[in-house]
Amino acid sequence: MAFDLKSINRKTVQAGLAAFALALSSTVALAADKLQYFTWSGYELPDFNKSFLAAHPDGVEASMFGDDDDAFTKVKAGFRPDVAHPCYDKVARWNKEGLLQPIDTKRIKNWDSIFPVFKNLPDLQAGDGKVWMVPWDWGNTSILYRTDLVKNPEPSWNLLWDKQYAGRMATIDAVHDTPVVAALLAGVNPFDMTPEQMEKVAEKLREQRPLISNYTTDMTSVEQALASGQLVAAMTWNASATSLKKQGVPVEFMKPREGMLTWACGFVLLKDAKNVDLAYDFINSRLETDSGKYLIQAYGYGSSNSSAFAAVPKEELEKLQLPSDPEVMLKTTVFTGPMKQNDELAKMFEKVKAGG
Amino acid sequence: MSTIVARQPLPESRSSTGFRLAMLLPGGLVTFFLILFALGLVVFLALRGNDGSLLGAGFTFANFITVASDPLYWTVTLRSLAIAGLVTLATVVTAYPVAYYLAFHARRRRGLLLFLVTLPFWTSYLLRVFAWKIVLAYNGVLNSALIESGIWSEPTLAFLNTPAAVVVTLAHAYAPFAILPIYVALDTIPKSLLEAASDLGARPFTSFRRVVLPNSMPGVLAAALVVFVPTVGDYVTPALVGGPASTMIGSLIQAQFGKANDWPFGAALAVAVMLVILAVVLVVRSADRRFGSRI
Repeated sequence: MAFDLKSINRKTVQAGLAAFALALSSTVALAADKLQYFTWSGYELPDFNKSFLAAHPDGVEASMFGDDDDAFTKVKAGFRPDVAHPCYDKVARWNKEGLLQPIDTKRIKNWDSIFPVFKNLPDLQAGDGKVWMVPWDWGNTSILYRTDLVKNPEPSWNLLWDKQYAGRMATIDAVHDTPVVAALLAGVNPFDMTPEQMEKVAEKLREQRPLISNYTTDMTSVEQALASGQLVAAMTWNASATSLKKQGVPVEFMKPREGMLTWACGFVLLKDAKNVDLAYDFINSRLETDSGKYLIQAYGYGSSNSSAFAAVPKEELEKLQLPSDPEVMLKTTVFTGPMKQNDELAKMFEKVKAGG
Repeated sequence: MSTIVARQPLPESRSSTGFRLAMLLPGGLVTFFLILFALGLVVFLALRGNDGSLLGAGFTFANFITVASDPLYWTVTLRSLAIAGLVTLATVVTAYPVAYYLAFHARRRRGLLLFLVTLPFWTSYLLRVFAWKIVLAYNGVLNSALIESGIWSEPTLAFLNTPAAVVVTLAHAYAPFAILPIYVALDTIPKSLLEAASDLGARPFTSFRRVVLPNSMPGVLAAALVVFVPTVGDYVTPALVGGPASTMIGSLIQAQFGKANDWPFGAALAVAVMLVILAVVLVVRSADRRFGSRI
């Protein structure tokens, strides 16, 4: 062997180990005073909470997830962040498992400027001026397609079932996206269905599987594949449309006649949160006008804060296909609320993806 | 040549027993807590019903009945075994010449070459998978080269998101695991055997077939096992470079613990897969014993 292990000085190894142990213990000590934030990847950007970071430099430690069902099982299994960022359809589920503590709206400075349509969502209400989730972001799910490769498609989700484009389409690997669309196309209520109706949804999903290049939540890969022309159409969120348009890729975010899916997500406070005061500071910072403005301009998502919309020019909002009032949007879209058969649907979707 | 004298066992002293116990303790603790206890927990969980809680409720065989009666799980298990089998074959076949060169021809360069073999391990496994994505992608290295050289006029989708991509990526990732055991097996073949073979007039190929290959079989089988067992349950690689047609059993197990939120069923699937792998390993071992490796 070229390496002679004996030649490595024993003292060096000991010193190295000691330094490593020291580094480890100091990060553990520091981590306890930092806000532990568990969020979708891409939502940890410092620009979203500038004032928080000004007051508490280096005060957030973020962990990321790609799908809030996976996040739920991680928290259920013992991961204990202070603040997490699931979407509305999952709040009841987190709550049922006893993972959350109510958030006092009196301590949320911009609570009054949150759109009433989000404030009044039934699963948020914890009574006595308290809520289970503070809404922060909302957006749409639809088909993003290359206008040069898919010529004048019918505005319908059926594009993702079009055999012409077999192998050149991708879809989102999450229960509240692809199966919901399959249910809409099968004429079934996505949020409450009988076993027979679920079989209809499964049939629709099976029909789609051979045409799909991959099921994924990795939007960066999807964007790259759309830009290279490997994919011609994919189910995505607004941010992908915004990002590809900025890059000059000829794409369009479809307005399907069955309706886009609209979702809303927000912050929940975990029951065993160690840094409750920091958590309130953090949520307050994220609800500032600037933060919401950045969310709109950088990602093309809607802010829950009406004052953020007032700060963005009208033309820009039009380009982003974001009406300044979510209630206008919700008249034509399908809001993804809690799904009664979430787990059964998830199981069925997994089986279909595997070929069953 | 020296004669071998059997060494007398040293009389046991109390301090040597104490030393031996102290040396066995860490391994014993690791085996008990990290392997046996974890395994026991999985088996326990597999026999529980799912009520959404962490450890399930009640005792039932329903999970195993579902696993056995639904043809999907058989299909996916067979698919995983086939993919892992292909990976093993590809890895061992490509690793053997490398190990052979290392053992018999590398001489002074051996240290450097062994170092180069382990070099890919200095980067994360994910990075290596993504490197293959760059090679196999629609506008990737392979497609660009084929178009530049005029072999194809249009990039093909046939590389990425296929079972073949999974096989190639895994075969590359596991190459060192196959090279090292085969190299050790080849390196320990007494040189006198080879000399005797050529003294008796064997041509190089004959002495390879009759002396080197049978003597290196234990290394080949060890390599095959080390590659086969972890690749059956792999789920990261199919998720990144394989399309829907390469969903492996690992992805299904992971989904039960993630999205589908049914831990007992996931545990039952894991136990079933363990049993299948055990059966495969036993078959290979008995075949090895019957058809003889090291004479």
